[in-house]
Amino acid sequence: MTPNIAIVHIETPHWHSIPLWIPLFLLWIPAIILSPLIFFVIFGLAVAGKINPWRAFRVLWDLVCALPGTHVRVTADDANVRVQIL
Amino acid sequence: MNENRRQILEMLVAGKITADEADRLLAALEPAPATTQFSGRIPGAGSSPGGPVKTNARYLRVLVEADESMTGMKGPTTVNVRVPMQLLRAGVRLASLIPKQAHDQLDEALNRHGVPLTLSQIKPENLEELIDHLEDLTVDVDGKEGNGTRVKVFCE
Repeated sequence: MTPNIAIVHIETPHWHSIPLWIPLFLLWIPAIILSPLIFFVIFGLAVAGKINPWRAFRVLWDLVCALPGTHVRVTADDANVRVQIL
Repeated sequence: MNENRRQILEMLVAGKITADEADRLLAALEPAPATTQFSGRIPGAGSSPGGPVKTNARYLRVLVEADESMTGMKGPTTVNVRVPMQLLRAGVRLASLIPKQAHDQLDEALNRHGVPLTLSQIKPENLEELIDHLEDLTVDVDGKEGNGTRVKVFCE
């Protein structure tokens, strides 16, 4: 499953953001529009690197689909940043 | 002993279930072995190659705690990262796309920095076994006195 939403939450001593829900699924729109360009760039890079382009597509797709579940939290100087990909 | 196992044994002792029922319940608690078997071998891996592989862990967790003497910031800094195992798998597959010349340079650089790791040996066919062994991995690093950095890596 591709990542659909990223939740970004930033807290500082002076400012608390509400959890910001970023709809990653909307990236499909530019991705589809730019898909011919993306295809040729990846294909060209794969051929230049002597890699099977279809395998490169597959691996990149797997990488994107594996992103949901990633959770990063950094706390420093009383500030707290949390990023979650769903 | 986990809670479920204890409950089953207590029910057996109390006579609420028979020994056969307890046996079936305990068997149901055991994780089912994966259907796939792998013959690859990871250098340095402890268990026997070719055995059934179970991959229960879903995430790799990395926790870093550093005090102000290390970061120069006020108060401790903590980093808590949870990475899905699926992402690790995809990452290793991505590493397999790296051209051989780049692999050699990477291995050389890693060796130069005291990491005797040969990336080209990590192949998709022994990837599952590698992930399986990560399940048992727990790395705890405590800084020396005065160097308050703690790193913890484990699977969950």
